[in-house]
Amino acid sequence: MRQMSRLKFTAPVSLSLLLSSLCIPALHAAPFELPALNSPASTEHHPGKVVWADLVTPDIAAAERFYGALLGWTFQTIHTGASDYAVAMIDGRPVGGLVQKSIPNGEQRQSAWLTFIAVGDVDAAKRAAVAHGAKVLADARNYPARGRQAVFADPEGAVFAILASSSGDTPDFLAAPGEWIWSSLLSRDPGAEAAFYQQLFSYDVFDLASDDGREHVILSSDNFARASANAFPDESKRRHAHWLNFIRVASTAEAAAKVAALGGRVLVEPHEDRHGGQAAVVADPAGAPFGLMEWSDSDSKAEPK
Amino acid sequence: MNILRNRWLAMGLGISMLMLLNACEVTGVGVEGTVGYDAGYYEPYGYDYGGWGGGYRVGPGRGGDRRGGHPSHSYRAAPSSRPTPSIPSGPRRH
Repeated sequence: MRQMSRLKFTAPVSLSLLLSSLCIPALHAAPFELPALNSPASTEHHPGKVVWADLVTPDIAAAERFYGALLGWTFQTIHTGASDYAVAMIDGRPVGGLVQKSIPNGEQRQSAWLTFIAVGDVDAAKRAAVAHGAKVLADARNYPARGRQAVFADPEGAVFAILASSSGDTPDFLAAPGEWIWSSLLSRDPGAEAAFYQQLFSYDVFDLASDDGREHVILSSDNFARASANAFPDESKRRHAHWLNFIRVASTAEAAAKVAALGGRVLVEPHEDRHGGQAAVVADPAGAPFGLMEWSDSDSKAEPK
Repeated sequence: MNILRNRWLAMGLGISMLMLLNACEVTGVGVEGTVGYDAGYYEPYGYDYGGWGGGYRVGPGRGGDRRGGHPSHSYRAAPSSRPTPSIPSGPRRH
């Protein structure tokens, strides 16, 4: 009987040791270190500027093959206890991140690029976001080299992140081919959305004359256009508000053709955009949409004095 | 005897739970997200990019783009005297 009692005691303890071992590997894993935005660090800060983008995808290896072949990106993989993360690089500079995350069986979820907007104080911005109707998706968290960040859904549900970079924000220069050049918010009510983001980032908001009768506004800081907020086209059926980021390419038509050849899809055919160059909207093989945009060096204005 | 056996069982289970909680708390699993990266969010499925006719443009202009003249009352519009800005054009500083 005494042996039976010992068994009753030792069996759960042994089981707990086994279960505990599931947690212990994470303890021994290397600390999760995201790269700094700037190296060497600077004291430059540009609140309201889109400074980073992360792709969430169910197949990080396939994403690396696609973006590497399309844009010449190379990757540095960081293994963690819970997820894999790859830093996309161009000419040795970090340009974005890929996050591996499985999709639960039976669920349909949208792989997407998450847009990070610079702030000076994440916690103050969080309070302002929540006070104006945002929902917190990932609470503020520090990553030593990267800085402090948090993820939200805006009042229409568009997902975005804020980042207070600990190495300063990336300086303002014309994006090189393969780098992010523009960000657009697509929404039901761009005026209300512009007001929300103005509360967070103190944007100057410029209403634009449009050829399509829809509302389009430019969100600006430091006297540079940072993003646009746009009403959905009339014919849109699934109107889920979202951010769409554009990568600069030498030729939109050639890049769009390459997207299709690599297993992606062309969602909006190359067309002339407001600046006179070609733009298109495409999706990677996992369905994550992003934009392609040409921009000749002479198209944009000089830096403000 | 049953009481004694149940006490052993309860003690074993209690210690087991404490060990499991301790191991997970030390590593961060289930305490504050994960030890990994927690910014990976899938969005609701299904964007639609239909209806992008020739006049539907979401990109930046070259600067000085024509204003609409009827800004929404939701936001504080930049003064109409200010030209619409464009994106940065300067070269990268190394």
